[in-house]
Amino acid sequence: MFMAALILIFSTALFFFYLQTLCQKVLRRHFAQEYFQSIVNANRLEFPSVRKAIEDFGAPVDYPRLMMTLKCDYLALTYLLKNAANVNQRFTREEHLLIVYFKMVLLSLVARHWLRLGESRTALKLTAILEYFANVVGERVNSVRFGNLTASDYLLNL
Amino acid sequence: MSDHLLGYVPYAVEFSVCLLLLWRGRWRRLKGLGLYVVGLLLVDGMARPAVLNHFGPASTQYAYFYWLTDVGLALGAFLLICRFFRRACADEEERWKFIRLMLVTVFVVVLGISALKLSSNYTHLFTNFIIEFSQNLYFTCLVLNTLLYLMIQQLAIDDEELGLLVVGMGVQFAGETACLALLQLTFRENFAREMLRFLGPACTVGMLAIWAYALLRPPQTSEVRIQTRKDAKLVEAVAD
Repeated sequence: MFMAALILIFSTALFFFYLQTLCQKVLRRHFAQEYFQSIVNANRLEFPSVRKAIEDFGAPVDYPRLMMTLKCDYLALTYLLKNAANVNQRFTREEHLLIVYFKMVLLSLVARHWLRLGESRTALKLTAILEYFANVVGERVNSVRFGNLTASDYLLNL
Repeated sequence: MSDHLLGYVPYAVEFSVCLLLLWRGRWRRLKGLGLYVVGLLLVDGMARPAVLNHFGPASTQYAYFYWLTDVGLALGAFLLICRFFRRACADEEERWKFIRLMLVTVFVVVLGISALKLSSNYTHLFTNFIIEFSQNLYFTCLVLNTLLYLMIQQLAIDDEELGLLVVGMGVQFAGETACLALLQLTFRENFAREMLRFLGPACTVGMLAIWAYALLRPPQTSEVRIQTRKDAKLVEAVAD
């Protein structure tokens, strides 16, 4: 009975470990160029500044502001993922998986904040997901020609 | 409706992965994987439903057949992991010799422990013993799979496809082992049986979906490197 309990705990932990690894592998996809910059500029997204703050100071400046920034960027990017230059007007399976992953990591960020375990690494994970979303949107927009409009111009008119 | 979906989705995904292997021309490089998926399709998609229709879901024959094929599939998965280890050690014969010895030892130990238990549980062969044996086999595969994953990370083996295939197997083994352990812990309570009925196929679908994703991704650096090496040899041969 003890062995069965041990196996249950160990295999459940490994199940979630493998799911996280899968998400990390999806995030490691190489893009032809850094598409996310134009999307960040056009939509005034703030996750790059959050990441810079963490990298420079070792910790996010202000927790409520961090949460709001990440949530707003997430909402803007998921809207764009679904609607910007997306003929099917729906998320792909990879995007669905990463959306669930984002929500899980966000939950763990809240838990880490309340347990005072430090939020930097978790916040960096969230910015990596947002960067991936921005890159996908940028790549899609870049692959479609809109007359003489640039990606930023197109998004401003959306 | 959901029962039907649960029943047919794994077959459809197994069939799709077989087609993908043929369509993308990867079956030559991934023979072990191809054989395992075909075996899964034959057992899970054809043989089991045929036995189920013939004998009925409550029959002893179906229970015997289900658990025996489950052990067979777990053994197939063990061989597939050995194949993945071989691929991870493609450039290092010395390491492969050591790992081969380790894999054979693990297999002999699991077989020995199971044979010992078999002799003492002969009367309950198809009740508690077979679940425990199946769980032990899956757990061994899970540990080996995790060791393989750690080895890939530690040695920085640049093979994204192999990494994804290993992650897929991990999801399947971890889910299945957890369900079997829960079944054993709860003395085969109804809710645990229901969970196994739902989560078992769900984990298989998850594994196959990750494999399909690995097959659909464009070739990564290692595959390009192998191709470049082949091209270079061809150029040299032509020059000679």
